[in-house]
Amino acid sequence: MTFAEAMTRTGIAAAMAVSGISHAYLYIHGYQHIPTIGDAFILQASVSFAVAVLILIGGPGWLRWAAALVAGGALVAFVLSRTVGLFGFSERGWQPSPHAAVSVVAELLTVGLWVAYLVGRRRAGARG
Amino acid sequence: MTDAPRTMTRRQLIRHSAWFGAAVGLAVAGGEVISHVAGTAEAKQVQGRPTLRFAQVSDSHIGFSGKANPDVAGSFSQAIGRINNLGYTPDFVIHTGDLTHLATPDQFDQVKQMMTGLRTPHVFTVPGEHDSVDDAGQKYRGAFGAGTRGDGWYSFDIAGVHVIALVNTLNLKKLGHLGVEQLEFVAKDVAALPDDTPIIVFSHIPLFAMYPDWGWATDDAAQTLSYLHRFSSVTCLNGHVHQVFSKTEGNVTFYSGTTTAYPLPHPGDGPAPKPVTLPAGKLHDALGIREVSYIRGQNALALKERTLQ
Repeated sequence: MTFAEAMTRTGIAAAMAVSGISHAYLYIHGYQHIPTIGDAFILQASVSFAVAVLILIGGPGWLRWAAALVAGGALVAFVLSRTVGLFGFSERGWQPSPHAAVSVVAELLTVGLWVAYLVGRRRAGARG
Repeated sequence: MTDAPRTMTRRQLIRHSAWFGAAVGLAVAGGEVISHVAGTAEAKQVQGRPTLRFAQVSDSHIGFSGKANPDVAGSFSQAIGRINNLGYTPDFVIHTGDLTHLATPDQFDQVKQMMTGLRTPHVFTVPGEHDSVDDAGQKYRGAFGAGTRGDGWYSFDIAGVHVIALVNTLNLKKLGHLGVEQLEFVAKDVAALPDDTPIIVFSHIPLFAMYPDWGWATDDAAQTLSYLHRFSSVTCLNGHVHQVFSKTEGNVTFYSGTTTAYPLPHPGDGPAPKPVTLPAGKLHDALGIREVSYIRGQNALALKERTLQ
């Protein structure tokens, strides 16, 4: 494993963990009571933690895809909740602060690092 | 060059299955831990039972007759039965408006009579625009206005929570409207309260801009909310939109409740908010009541939506 690969792996794991912590915190501090959204938050947090741990200890490549899927899904849900609403739930701007911003940055980082991982693999494949 | 499909050996399959199993197992364990932490945090503050428990029912539209629900009285009875069978006696029940469909004396008599069947120490109401179609709420206040101020607004304290019931359905143009007199009432009402007093606000029309094109907003709500910004916990419950919806804006959380009569379309779904006729057997999934509980020390109220099914 190259240094770049190790950094990508660690970065995705860390970003996923941060997003998971943020969602878990909000779940514990009130979101558990919001219909459907509460369930979605605990699911996001628990899957994020699991994927983060397994990526960190050297899990296979599809775990990065899973990470990107979870992070991408969370970003889509964030946008929906600020626009048309999601399961009858809507929030404004970067509320709750700072958790909304922290989660979005972590999820964007996850998706970005996943793209970097894909590019890296493609280049390695091209080199032979 | 050949493009042979990549195949997976038995060993690889077992390895990937193991990773997948580990992912599922860790996710379940993580979920359990988070759930346990959330439960423990809540249990520390509960110590027995919530400080305050009440039920919200809304938009019974007694007197409505149409395909969307040919028996609104029957479904309102079911809603009352649902509240009476929560397994505890709610501290109060709030009806957030549109008790009647056309505000006739008979409809007010009927809904008032039906609500005497609620097993709770207190029943509170706010008027909907259907309760004041022809007399600016006079018949409504005759039936439900005892002890209220102005055009039917009031406030009270219960279990350390300050509750404000507002009337935003009179003086309607397109949006809900509170008016100067009521705004002054709110300003004075909360002036002496400490910042950590939990505030609950009832109104019929949402105090947030849920969908202004259909009148699902209150034009002078911002001023009311400005009086409430200093409080750490403000929860606004409304009816009118016949569907569950929630929104948070800083310290204020808004929750629209569903109806016991008939569903309305989602915001912007169609030209106007006309009653929606659901397929047979689906209506009662869209109708319901809401349980609300407050635990001292917590900022957020806990809500449970219960369908009539």
